[in-house]
Amino acid sequence: MNPDEFDVIIIGGGITGAGTQRDCAMRGLRTLLIEKSDIATGATGRNHGLLHSGARYAVNDPESARECIEENMILRRIAAHCIDETDGLFITLPEDDLAYQQTFVQSCQAAGINAEIIDPDLARRLEPSVNPALIGAVKVPDGSVDPFRLCAANMLDAKLRGGQVRLHTDVTGFIREGDTIKGVHTRSRATGEEKDYYASVVVNAGGIWGHNIAQMAGVQVGMFPAKGALLIFAHRVNNMVINRCRKPSNADILVPGDTVCIIGTTSTRIPFEECDEVAVTPDEVNLLISEGSLLAPSLSSTRILRAYAGVRPLVSADNDPSGRNISRGIVCLDHETRDGLKGFVTITGGKLMTYRLMAEMATDCVCRKLGVDKACETATTPLPGSEERSYEAVAQKIWESPSTAQKAAAARMGTRASRIRTGDRRDEALICECEEVSVGEINAAIERMEVSTLTDLRRRTRVGMGTCQGEFCACRAAGLLAKAHGCIARERADLNDFLQERWKGNFPIGWGDTLREAEYTQWVYKHVLGV
Amino acid sequence: MKFDTIIIGGGLAGMVAGIALQKAGQKTAIISTGQNALHFFSGTFESLQEPTPRIKELIEEAGIRLHYGQGVRLMPMGTFQPSALCLEDVDIFPDAHFGRRVLIVNFMGYHDFFSSFLSEGLEKQGMECRIRFLNLPEMEQLLQSPSEMRSVQIARTMDRIWEKVVQEIRVLLKDDDTVVLPQVFGLKDPSVPGRIRQGIPAKVVFAGTLPPSVPGVRTQMQLRKRYEVLGGTYLMGDEALEAHVHNGMVHSIVTRNLDSHYLEADNFVLSTGSFFSKGLRSNPERIWEPVFGLDVEYPEDRNGWYSPSFADDQPYMGYGVKTDARLHGVADGEPLKNLYAAGSILGVTHPELGSAAGLAIRSALAVADAILCHSERSEESN
Repeated sequence: MNPDEFDVIIIGGGITGAGTQRDCAMRGLRTLLIEKSDIATGATGRNHGLLHSGARYAVNDPESARECIEENMILRRIAAHCIDETDGLFITLPEDDLAYQQTFVQSCQAAGINAEIIDPDLARRLEPSVNPALIGAVKVPDGSVDPFRLCAANMLDAKLRGGQVRLHTDVTGFIREGDTIKGVHTRSRATGEEKDYYASVVVNAGGIWGHNIAQMAGVQVGMFPAKGALLIFAHRVNNMVINRCRKPSNADILVPGDTVCIIGTTSTRIPFEECDEVAVTPDEVNLLISEGSLLAPSLSSTRILRAYAGVRPLVSADNDPSGRNISRGIVCLDHETRDGLKGFVTITGGKLMTYRLMAEMATDCVCRKLGVDKACETATTPLPGSEERSYEAVAQKIWESPSTAQKAAAARMGTRASRIRTGDRRDEALICECEEVSVGEINAAIERMEVSTLTDLRRRTRVGMGTCQGEFCACRAAGLLAKAHGCIARERADLNDFLQERWKGNFPIGWGDTLREAEYTQWVYKHVLGV
Repeated sequence: MKFDTIIIGGGLAGMVAGIALQKAGQKTAIISTGQNALHFFSGTFESLQEPTPRIKELIEEAGIRLHYGQGVRLMPMGTFQPSALCLEDVDIFPDAHFGRRVLIVNFMGYHDFFSSFLSEGLEKQGMECRIRFLNLPEMEQLLQSPSEMRSVQIARTMDRIWEKVVQEIRVLLKDDDTVVLPQVFGLKDPSVPGRIRQGIPAKVVFAGTLPPSVPGVRTQMQLRKRYEVLGGTYLMGDEALEAHVHNGMVHSIVTRNLDSHYLEADNFVLSTGSFFSKGLRSNPERIWEPVFGLDVEYPEDRNGWYSPSFADDQPYMGYGVKTDARLHGVADGEPLKNLYAAGSILGVTHPELGSAAGLAIRSALAVADAILCHSERSEESN
């Protein structure tokens, strides 16, 4: 068997691609995933991390609402270590129409979402950070999900089942014979090496970049990039998700996640050329803060860690090239029946919440083409790390009396935390003090999780994601990466990229303590360390 | 409580001003929140070239050893930067090629000293490098807690066992002509780096670590001690909250710890540093100086405060309080007659005074002179 030949090649290392690779691998296919950057770098890692109950869509898009609540319940079972079961509130403020609450609750119930009207007093007690002026509240089964962890766990499971992964690798073209796609040409961004891979089916799971991938294959998928801006606050202000009970609008969702909370989002159409470098504007920052403070007033005085933006891949219906009839639903295109192009499938649209369903649809399509008759099992098989539901139980099993850092590691890695080497105190030394990430956990990630850069490491371990945003841990971790990869010159460049990436998220919110931290970083890196 | 001069801010500028004023016979107090920029002092007075005899004397009287030369110094990541005046344990080389065979010594489990980056940087200069790790039983205690392997903690251990480290290095030494060590020596006793140099039969170079900077913390302790020996009052852990100003003169200030007492003085020095030290504050709309409300110049559009590239010089780092030519702080366009500003709170409003440590020292001395000259004149007119 040719080692460069696979049953299926998946383009795109976001949650859709990683989920599709896992599903294909579980059905016994030989898989290869190719990603131009790192996992979860597109829309996957640039959203709220909201485990939607579906309530947000209940009134306007009942189909999405139903998909959400079903997937919500599935993810609680299969991705326990990526999920925080916080519940959520939909609050009505004095300026909102309280009558909407009835419509909202009825629509939720119709979609199978357990939405319960509660007394505003009870809401204030359940969630002390909520705007005390609220006049109505509905409790729903929202939660939060760590998209990096979820994506990494899917990729890891695919790898454990024999899947292969090429990160930081561009697809430069398709290998085509007549009306059939036979494989892809690729080029590694790290080494420049060019290589061809062959497969019976290629799945385009490139998110917004899937537009260009489809074009490269000679078919058209009408996508429209919509930018959404978000802010991360330095504290977990709220313990439950807080939404506004009104027609969905800008900046009306506040999601707690790990040690932080996230407000968003906005929605602005942007040209394709801007997809790789989306920047958050001061106007967006102002809007997010002022609207966010209506959900939780303390946000107006809470330090902001970072501003960031993602690009949603909105897909226009095939009969409507203008894009007016935009759907946020799942789009799975078999290009053989649609365009007469064999061996090529596009999976797009949808959202983080429905990635598993999208993966199932894409994999079903692949299996039909390959004549494989095996049922999807992703809805019932836990992801690696999620075999236990409580991280405290996990930590207890691994370490008799776990330290807070070990509990943090168990929360991040789930049962996989047992893979951290123990016994040597030097492995317990903390590299990142904000998030309590140890040498051992970083080395475990470097060994098994396809880490090339500091930013990759950040996505897998939360190194540098905490309050100081990588002030010192960046160069400590750079030392470990340099050792693992044996290339110091590359690590120097990597550290500079990390600092630039960090500043990109900081200067749009550069005031108060963020500006203090930024000034400190300038001194430390330029004048003290001489980077 | 009444003083001749009250200095707000206990960093390099505040302490130099305090020492100069105490030496001239004034009764002064320094109000310090605690940490200051000396905690990440790189050991070099970047914008000071050859020091005047007065500066040299003032610093050396505090027991701080300096040396002066034109050249470059080795940075912690293995790069080189031009340098002139440094603490004794920071070397200045005529050029980046300072040895042929270099032994870099680090401690097992210490991640804040970048031996591999140093090695690569030195190899680029044509030096041959090898890295060795010391594994000392005396350091086991630091490993008990996952965040104890940090510069100052190691330096405290080294104060006790540095002679043993010298012995270990002598064993490691082969035909190396240079040994590079982390700056974790002589926290208490500033003579230790010099004695290590004497004990090792090769050139010894100390390279920086992640903050806190051990030479910086030592310098801070030496200056503070000198200031207190001269009779100054160092109010540690306190913060100036507001000032009482009448007819263009500061009458007194209120601090957090002494809330019912006004601290009165003839003159006041503001040396509270820039944004990081909270000398300047900011919100999305404005930038201000919180104690006296001194004027600060900056663009109204926030986008102008930054450059999107991290590598660029950042405009906000140049902002400072407005002063007149004699460094009187200016509020609402009018100088306050007995308030002076010194150190990095000046930003780049007086480029002739230099930047960073150089700015701190020169502006502090200029302020001390202005205060002394003014009080002499007022005594004469009495």
